[in-house]
Amino acid sequence: MTKKLNHKQKSTARVAISTEKSNGPLLKVEDVFLYFKSATGGLVRAVDGVNFELNPGRSLAIVGESGCGKTSLAKAILRLLPRNVATYKGRILLSGTDIMKFGDERFRHDVRWVKISMVSQAAMNSLNPVMKLKDQVAEPLLIDNRTSKKEAYERAREVFRIVGIPVAFLDRYAFELSGGMRQRSIIAMALIADPLLVILDEPTSALDVLTQANIMNALKKIKKELSLNYIFITHDIATSSELADEVVCMYAGQLVEHSTAERFYRDPLHPYAQKLMASVPTLHVYKKPEFITGQPPSLLNPPEGCRFAERCTKRFERCQKEPPLFAHGDEFVKCWLYERG
Amino acid sequence: MRQVISKLGRFTLMRALLLFLAVVIGVYLTVLIANMGGRIDDVRRAEIRYYIGQAAFGNQALRGLPPEEVAAMLEELAQLEFERLGMNRPFFPERSFEYLWRALTLDLGRAERINSDAGSRQVSNILLERLPVTLALFATADLVLFILSLFIALFLSRRYGNFLDRLIIGLAPSSAAPGWFYGLFLILIFGAVLGILPWGGMLDAPIPDTTWSYALSVLKHMVLPVTAVVLGALFANIYTWRTFFLIYSSEDYVELARAKGLSSRGIDTRYVLRPVLPPILTSFLLVLITMWMGQIVLETVFHWPGLGSVFYTATQVSDTPVILGVVVIYGYLLAATVFALDFVYAIIDPRVRVGGGAVRK
Amino acid sequence: MQNWLARLKGLRRYPSLIAGIVISVIFIAISIYAITAIPYSEAVRLWRAGPGVWDENPKNAGPVWLDLFTEGKSPRTIVVSSGDTGIINEEATGNGTKRVEIVLPFQYDYDGFPKELKLYTVAKYSGSREPTTISWQTPDGRIIILRENYFLKPDDAYYISQDAELRAQLSGMTPHIGLFADPNDEEKPLKGEYRLTLATEVPETADVSTRLVAAGQLHGWAGTDHRARDLMIALLWGAPIGIMFGVLAAIGAQVSTFILSAIGTWFGGKLDRLFQWLTQVNLVIPVLPLLILVAHFYSRSIWTMLGMVIVLNIYSASYLTYRAMYLQAKEAPYIEAAQAYGAGNNRMVFRYLIPRIAPTLLPQFILIIPLFVFLEATLSVLGLGDPLIPTWGKVIYNAVDEGALYKGYYYWLVEPAVLLLLMGVGFALIGYSLDRIFNPRLRSL
Repeated sequence: MTKKLNHKQKSTARVAISTEKSNGPLLKVEDVFLYFKSATGGLVRAVDGVNFELNPGRSLAIVGESGCGKTSLAKAILRLLPRNVATYKGRILLSGTDIMKFGDERFRHDVRWVKISMVSQAAMNSLNPVMKLKDQVAEPLLIDNRTSKKEAYERAREVFRIVGIPVAFLDRYAFELSGGMRQRSIIAMALIADPLLVILDEPTSALDVLTQANIMNALKKIKKELSLNYIFITHDIATSSELADEVVCMYAGQLVEHSTAERFYRDPLHPYAQKLMASVPTLHVYKKPEFITGQPPSLLNPPEGCRFAERCTKRFERCQKEPPLFAHGDEFVKCWLYERG
Repeated sequence: MRQVISKLGRFTLMRALLLFLAVVIGVYLTVLIANMGGRIDDVRRAEIRYYIGQAAFGNQALRGLPPEEVAAMLEELAQLEFERLGMNRPFFPERSFEYLWRALTLDLGRAERINSDAGSRQVSNILLERLPVTLALFATADLVLFILSLFIALFLSRRYGNFLDRLIIGLAPSSAAPGWFYGLFLILIFGAVLGILPWGGMLDAPIPDTTWSYALSVLKHMVLPVTAVVLGALFANIYTWRTFFLIYSSEDYVELARAKGLSSRGIDTRYVLRPVLPPILTSFLLVLITMWMGQIVLETVFHWPGLGSVFYTATQVSDTPVILGVVVIYGYLLAATVFALDFVYAIIDPRVRVGGGAVRK
Repeated sequence: MQNWLARLKGLRRYPSLIAGIVISVIFIAISIYAITAIPYSEAVRLWRAGPGVWDENPKNAGPVWLDLFTEGKSPRTIVVSSGDTGIINEEATGNGTKRVEIVLPFQYDYDGFPKELKLYTVAKYSGSREPTTISWQTPDGRIIILRENYFLKPDDAYYISQDAELRAQLSGMTPHIGLFADPNDEEKPLKGEYRLTLATEVPETADVSTRLVAAGQLHGWAGTDHRARDLMIALLWGAPIGIMFGVLAAIGAQVSTFILSAIGTWFGGKLDRLFQWLTQVNLVIPVLPLLILVAHFYSRSIWTMLGMVIVLNIYSASYLTYRAMYLQAKEAPYIEAAQAYGAGNNRMVFRYLIPRIAPTLLPQFILIIPLFVFLEATLSVLGLGDPLIPTWGKVIYNAVDEGALYKGYYYWLVEPAVLLLLMGVGFALIGYSLDRIFNPRLRSL
């Protein structure tokens, strides 16, 4: 049976964030901005005012094409800022506490991994080549004297079992594992500190379809057993549909639609999302995949008004001004077409 | 653990053998070159004649004889000896291997003109006496260079692009000049013009009597040569290593380590320093080899009584056995350096000892 | 290829590259000047310093610009000869001979004493020789007899400075000081017009010419060395020698390593392992001692040294660096594609692998040039340089050997050293900048 870290161990990690099931949302992202300085001197607006909420027990998929700001959003949540950051502001509330206000050291100690963990793309390079797997996987528990070595390794064995890797591999090095196993190790690593939220950034895009299917099943199983909250970042619409309860769609650094999965995958609201879904081939229905003309705008110099207007078939004069995020039932859309709600 | 040691052991043995083979080839080449004019043969003949002469000196029976007769007799004895030792056989390949063996075991007989400080004429004594002197200077300089380069490079890699970074990078071309070059300038400034540090040599005269003052004196004399060596390699080294640090700290697993909540110290040691050590060590090996070469001129310029300066003196007075001897010792020293680094490599990089083949960049 | 050209245009952003190019161009210009103004054979002749070549130079004189740092005017070399400003008086005696009196006047306005005083006389005639009198007149009218009853040789060299009798006559003062000293203040020279008179009797048809050399303390733009050779020659010629040695060695060594590394990596397996092991062997072979060995026992010619340096560097450590790059390039899909359509090994190596990695060869190649330039200097400093040609290392060797630092002739050491450093730094600047531009791993930073 799966074993979570007991209450005593968690409190020694000086957690100041409530872990009980509160009534409020698990994660609330409010007016978050993240701009970078580009090499040529301009400002890249990777995350340009994003707002959304995620309730406990719900998993979220963030979709969009390459370069729309999805990964930057993840980095913004985990405060993994590069050297050339220009602007970083907003509020990020985790179970009601604004973690943006934490100092760097407190953030590192209290939030990273223990509350929010991450599974990154291309696990090939995400594992330290000169450390044994068990040391890397158990590392988040070993630092800051959080648990004893014995307990940490035991926990490592446990998470390996959960993701389906033989525990003997804990004594190996990263280069001795196949691609699929490495990806699973990363997932295991993300689970070890029993976080509230796991952000997965393109977890399967570097793998073949069979391995993809395996990983997907493992994730589904984990979700059910441990009742974890996922945020799933992907450009692969098809695979994300299996795991997501809600979908956030991003375009040019902005959030353009936030709906439930059923709604998004069948009948999205935003014209961009509609085009996106229309481009995905479906198994049981015959349809000709569509495409969108033109290119997404550069994040260095986004256009005035609605950023999708240029490529939108449904644009009209209102679109010259930037639309706010309208509520539409349970959902949110950033489009003038839904002004009246 | 036992498995690791045995794997390590096998690996080490293989490397040692291969390196020794390399040394053998190097020394053989030297023997061939050195004897191209029959020089080594001449030296040996002279040595044999010397010993025969010494033996005859104590022989009463020869006392009363006229000198020409004695000389003729000695020459006859010498020729007999040559025959006995097979010196009339062709050089290549038979005797060359004999010389090769003697050279490898440093059994090089008497020097032609040079004496060791203790008065011995045996080449092996002369050289072995000087070996620790050279090693002292070499080891100190390398240690200083390694530590300085490592820390400054690490320091700079976190401040990519700022003024100090660009300044030190700009100084990288200064390493185009070797250590002895800077040595000359240092002697000029600190010795001749300012007069605060000694011009050369290893000790003050008269030689200090207490161990403490002896050590201090050596240290004082080491300052300029060590500084010269370090100057000649420091900035290029910092440039290369800082580039390595930059490349290695932008690896994905470092990013993940940050996400895992590790402190920057933890990240630096486990995620940046350990993976980056192999290429740093490889580059340092090359620096070390270059420095071994430069040692010869450096010691000459600073009159440091080590292997380098005796090599120079030997070339000045044409002392063949000593020259050969130094080349052989150098071969061994270089091989030892390569071996030591390979060993450290195997310890820190699991890919080398576990996986098939080295994955060195 | 277009990519590289576009990046070259961005060169303007690299000041160190511009600086390096400027320095290198200056040295190339100096080299061209040296080769054309003083042809090789002439340079060798001058450097050999045979008799008569450097008569008019002082030994160990500093460069003229040192005067800027000292008070007063240091003496430069003065040469007065009967051919130009000398005054010749001839008078026939009637019995087939003539009395000849040559007066050599000159102005002396310097604040210091000359280094040396020499008188060269050419009196080529057969028959008996008559005694000659040589006298000296100071500005304040004193006349000092330097030599009486002196018999001139056909090619006469009278080293006034070393005349012991004269020295005694001058109360122990060295002649070139005593003859110029102000009687009131013997520390300073007397300024004004001096005259040297040579009087002798020669056959009527004979020709006598004489030349007085008062060697200065400073001479030339670079000074002179212990054999009175003008250092400018060595300083100028050091440039083309250094460049030639450095570039040729770099080409020979690097290009061979580059190609061998491609071949080794391409064929893989035993060949690759063999080549790698050869690199290890090369690492262990002590290059400099071997060079010294060869230089000492056989030939110090610069071409022998060049040849050996190249041979000993074919399997240099760069082999492994290139190999790493080739290994990566080998995995590229278009390599596999080319093999699929049946490209032979030859083609694969020379048309596909090598051109791909060639741009990264350039910075390595340039960075290695200073190493070889200094290698040549190292050999010269050890006294094992080419015996004929003047190089910077040679000058440093002379300086150190003659104890330049003890004697205060700092310029002798500093001039060639600075030039060596500048040339090395010039190439290194270019190499490092190019490395920043072409190195693929640095681009992403």
